[in-house]
Amino acid sequence: METILVLAHPEAGGSLAKSAREALHAAVTLHKTLAGSKLVVGLVGDDVQAAADSIAACPAAKYFGVSGADFSQARYATDAAAAEAVCKAAQATIVVAPATSRWNRVLPGVAQRLGGRADTHVTGLAATGGAVTVNRWYYRQRMEATLQRPQRPWFILVDPGAQPACECGGGAAVVEPVAVQLPDACRRTTVLGVREPAADAQTIRPDAQLLFVTGAGWTKKQADGQTHVPEADKLIRGFLKASRASLGSSKSLVDIGGEGQAVLPFLSHLNQVGQTGATPRHPKGLSTCCHGEEPHTVGWRFINERRAISLDPNCGWARGKADVLYVADAFKVIAKVNELLAK
Amino acid sequence: MSIAYQIVVCAGIVPDPLQTLEPVASPAGPALKNEMMLPAILDPWAGHALYEAANLAKNAPGSKVWLVSLGPKAKLQQVMMTVAQKVPFELVALDGPASGFTEAAEVAAVLAEAIQAIPSLDKSKLLLFGGWESASRGAGATMQMVGERLGIVDQFQGVDELKMNADGSLEILERIEGGRHQASKCSGPPALLGWATGNLPEPKNNPQVGMANMRTVMPSLQKARPVKLAGEGLKFAGVALPKQLRETRIVKDAAPDDIANEIVEWIKK
Amino acid sequence: MSSARAQPAPPAVERPRMDADIVCVGFGPATAGFLTTLSKQLVNADGTPAVESRVAPGLPPQVLCYERADDTGFGVSGVVTKARALRASLPGLDQAGIPMAAPVGEEKVLYLLDPVGASRRSTLMRLADEAIHAFKWALPFERDALNLPWTPGFLHKHGGMVFSMGQFMQWAGAQVQSTGTVQIWPGTPVAQALVEGLKVTGVRLLDQGVDKQGAPAEGFTPGMDIRAALTVVGDGPVGPVGRQLDELFGLPEKNHARDWAVGMKFVVDLPEDTPLKPGTVLHTFGYPEPEIFGFLYVHPDRVASLGIFVPSWFDSPVRTAYRYLQHWMQHPYLWRYLQGGKLRSWGAKTLGESGRRGEPHLAGNGYARIGEGSGTTNVLTGSGVDEAWASGTQLAEAVLELLKAKKPFTKENLEATYVRRRRASWLESEARVAEKSRDGFHHGVVPGMIGMALAGLSGGRLALPGKPLRPWERIPSLEDYYSGRIPLPELRKIRDDCYARGVSAHAALMERAGWPAIPYDGRLLVSHQDALLMGGKVQAPHGYADHVAFVFPNHCRECGTKLCVEICSGQAITPGENGVPNFDREKCVHCGACLWNCTTASPQNPERSAVAFRAGTGGLHSAEN
Repeated sequence: METILVLAHPEAGGSLAKSAREALHAAVTLHKTLAGSKLVVGLVGDDVQAAADSIAACPAAKYFGVSGADFSQARYATDAAAAEAVCKAAQATIVVAPATSRWNRVLPGVAQRLGGRADTHVTGLAATGGAVTVNRWYYRQRMEATLQRPQRPWFILVDPGAQPACECGGGAAVVEPVAVQLPDACRRTTVLGVREPAADAQTIRPDAQLLFVTGAGWTKKQADGQTHVPEADKLIRGFLKASRASLGSSKSLVDIGGEGQAVLPFLSHLNQVGQTGATPRHPKGLSTCCHGEEPHTVGWRFINERRAISLDPNCGWARGKADVLYVADAFKVIAKVNELLAK
Repeated sequence: MSIAYQIVVCAGIVPDPLQTLEPVASPAGPALKNEMMLPAILDPWAGHALYEAANLAKNAPGSKVWLVSLGPKAKLQQVMMTVAQKVPFELVALDGPASGFTEAAEVAAVLAEAIQAIPSLDKSKLLLFGGWESASRGAGATMQMVGERLGIVDQFQGVDELKMNADGSLEILERIEGGRHQASKCSGPPALLGWATGNLPEPKNNPQVGMANMRTVMPSLQKARPVKLAGEGLKFAGVALPKQLRETRIVKDAAPDDIANEIVEWIKK
Repeated sequence: MSSARAQPAPPAVERPRMDADIVCVGFGPATAGFLTTLSKQLVNADGTPAVESRVAPGLPPQVLCYERADDTGFGVSGVVTKARALRASLPGLDQAGIPMAAPVGEEKVLYLLDPVGASRRSTLMRLADEAIHAFKWALPFERDALNLPWTPGFLHKHGGMVFSMGQFMQWAGAQVQSTGTVQIWPGTPVAQALVEGLKVTGVRLLDQGVDKQGAPAEGFTPGMDIRAALTVVGDGPVGPVGRQLDELFGLPEKNHARDWAVGMKFVVDLPEDTPLKPGTVLHTFGYPEPEIFGFLYVHPDRVASLGIFVPSWFDSPVRTAYRYLQHWMQHPYLWRYLQGGKLRSWGAKTLGESGRRGEPHLAGNGYARIGEGSGTTNVLTGSGVDEAWASGTQLAEAVLELLKAKKPFTKENLEATYVRRRRASWLESEARVAEKSRDGFHHGVVPGMIGMALAGLSGGRLALPGKPLRPWERIPSLEDYYSGRIPLPELRKIRDDCYARGVSAHAALMERAGWPAIPYDGRLLVSHQDALLMGGKVQAPHGYADHVAFVFPNHCRECGTKLCVEICSGQAITPGENGVPNFDREKCVHCGACLWNCTTASPQNPERSAVAFRAGTGGLHSAEN
């Protein structure tokens, strides 16, 4: 008899992010298919009432909340204490939470405190034959595993974008406050704020419909024997502006930036896709001047429609990694694309 | 005020990412095909953590770096011969599996025990570093569990920058959603940092550093305690390579303008 | 006397320095043999030094080995061996413990006929082919191949084993280091030997943080000087330190290194229903060109190593390996086993085919030469690993003798101990049999084969004579080579068009001359660049100079042939501006083929070409070579 706790934190302003609703959806589905299970919700933040109200129509039996100024910031010590307290109050056996940076930071530690286990970056969650089963990827999205475990509480962190969002409506939720003892040692860290590039310099857009990936080919010698980095810079920026795509990059192109070679200044390690980079989720992805090698393309695991522009008809994209490969000069194609998008 | 830090870096080993990886079933659960044959490297994010640790130690006189690593002894030795020339550290080696299919919780227990056994470990000076995720299990769970076992509640993940302030406090940048960073200030050690890539380039090979490191690396490998990980309770229903092959349509000899039109149509759909 | 042939004169910098007792250049089978024998005897059972270090009193000798490749298993390739010396050094060697190892089982030598009709065969050979076809019902003829019913004993590897050199080297390296007396540092190329007068006093490591030309750039770190009483040079047939010493000290009179081959190899997963058993050894000759020999060895678990050797007496101005390897694989006899298989990894290396006649001075003041760079490869039996290992153990025994007697590493002492042992061993006797065995090839393939057989069967007493020309002397011009096959204007157009596009010309020329296009399948027949990605990508770390240089650009401008571009195993050398080729370090696998595939002699030394091949980092990252 599992008690499924959905653990979420509101965003600044008090509302729940889409990722929280995705975790909720997964938990609700699990609850419906797991006979005899109980579903409860736990919220941690500055003020959680509005968040609770926004999902009040969901089939949760109870709402628990930890509120207060101490919990307004994403900080390990206080978040862990809060999550621990909620789990205990709810007597949770399964905890489903969105894999946000805030929860990724603390929940495995909370699992340790409670003698349970945590599985992170979970993409699928179901009840199979009465047992809870999760899917997650291993070796940088190279292989997918399905697993079960007996240890409880079991923390399951659901990757944002992996599940549909719960569309349940709002109402008035009754939130049972949970008291949390916070020794002074919990306040040794203070969050100073968020650092981000200026709005028009931000190239990472998680909600974009399209991921635009640039490879090292943009900075290599072209058919005329010269490099054309300033032109590449202009074309890429132009495309991003016109398409509102999110910018990704191969590792080789990002690494070139660190070697004193001609560089695209708006690129950093944060843009890297695959290898030690990200595995973003976007409905579409367009790769340019990139060879399509496995360590990079593993980062494309969650991109649905894929197209590539490369001068090499035998590159990795040609064989099963992309839907369409355009064997063409990206400089020419993107220039024209930018022109058309501007219309 | 400059603290002489004790920086303990936890780093696993993973197969060189440019190899072909395939799962196989074994009596002990899923495993990587030919794992012992594949060339291994230090986990990339943990490697960044190691270089950051060395950089910090260089700027905080009296500091020392330990590298705690669990892996099959022969593979650890192989990896050490490339890592040991990079930065100075003292190796604490544990002889056990490095597979991504092992349990983070069990690995954390073993690492925590080894760290606690480091002579003259002083929590007031302790900075525990590691990668925020591994390239094998990719869970981003092990460091938190190690931290909990050591009673460290100032933990940071996805770190790209660490600055020491004059008053001994630490300023840390962690990656958060949307390509942004969260800036935090921690009053001082003990603290745990799970690094992303940071900003330092890979250090060049330095034979003198290598020679000096060998003084601890070889004895540590020889003494490495054998570790068994039971994987208790965990049950894998299956591990599979994705059936990923798409039918790629290759467009050759088309005019750039035509291609551009097609792409724009696709983007707008 | 300049010691700078291996590197351009470095900027005058302060170099850090370290002192060791023995420093080794390169960790291949020779150095592995050396260190395996040496490391076992440096420390007594109770842990005290058996011999004392001169640089660290109270400790055993400080022995360092520097290997260029990024890991100990990456820089080598080799596969079937009688393993006599290996087994002598490693009595407990359990084949089951070495990945990919299998005892040699069935051996076959196959003469491959030409099913495509594009191969260049002499009249004699064509007559032989016709005769074979005419009598095929009476001969062991199958799928365009003749299984030689009888092969000379010298080719047999019976009692030996098939294995992966890369895996074996990793294992051997781990064994050696676990004794605690030796350190093997990968990813650390040696730029040159340090020479004072006529004495070698140690080595200098390669500068890091430099630009393509070697000038200091961001993060400049000058290569350290490692001083040692003995420098053991085991850097292979194209190793820069070996070649530097050859330039400096010359070769013994009448010796020359003019015969080479580039071996290119795939490791393949055979189809699931393969009938080939582990330990199967196939040797081929005759196709795709008569000069090209092939091999296929079967490991356990349906893995096979297979490849070809393209020798320096295959006189084509557009000779190449990869394309020919693909045609060889598709020969009906082989394709029947390979079709449906999957490429796992790829590699290439130069072989020193001069044997005993290519020997340098084996020892000098402060140094000794072992392994293929010292002429150990036996070109008659086609084996090198065991021989290299043997030379290493012989040096180790000599070194231990000298250390215990507290004698210095002078030329005389090393000759009296190392060279004496080598000359008294099977290494020498078998090398003498092989010495002239390949000379017939300078007249053609059929004389070559006859010459080999004569030499092998007569124990070296008989051989077909031939005077080995220097590699650059033998290459015909493009026009002459294709005369009568491709009209001159068309020939020039194809070449100019390819070079203008920055690509090699051999594929276009071969197809024009009748070779079929390669039917790429993305699994076994893949593009050349795709092969560089398989089994671990070929790569090079940043911050190092280009290690291949075209030091006489005026000659390159005049060169109509660009043999270096055609032969480059990784397509790292491409046509460039004004006829001077471009070099891309990130694709180079350090095979060294470029240095003997140049049609121009170096103005400074007619035994050398206009291509300089120096110490560099990076290369293959395959664990299976």
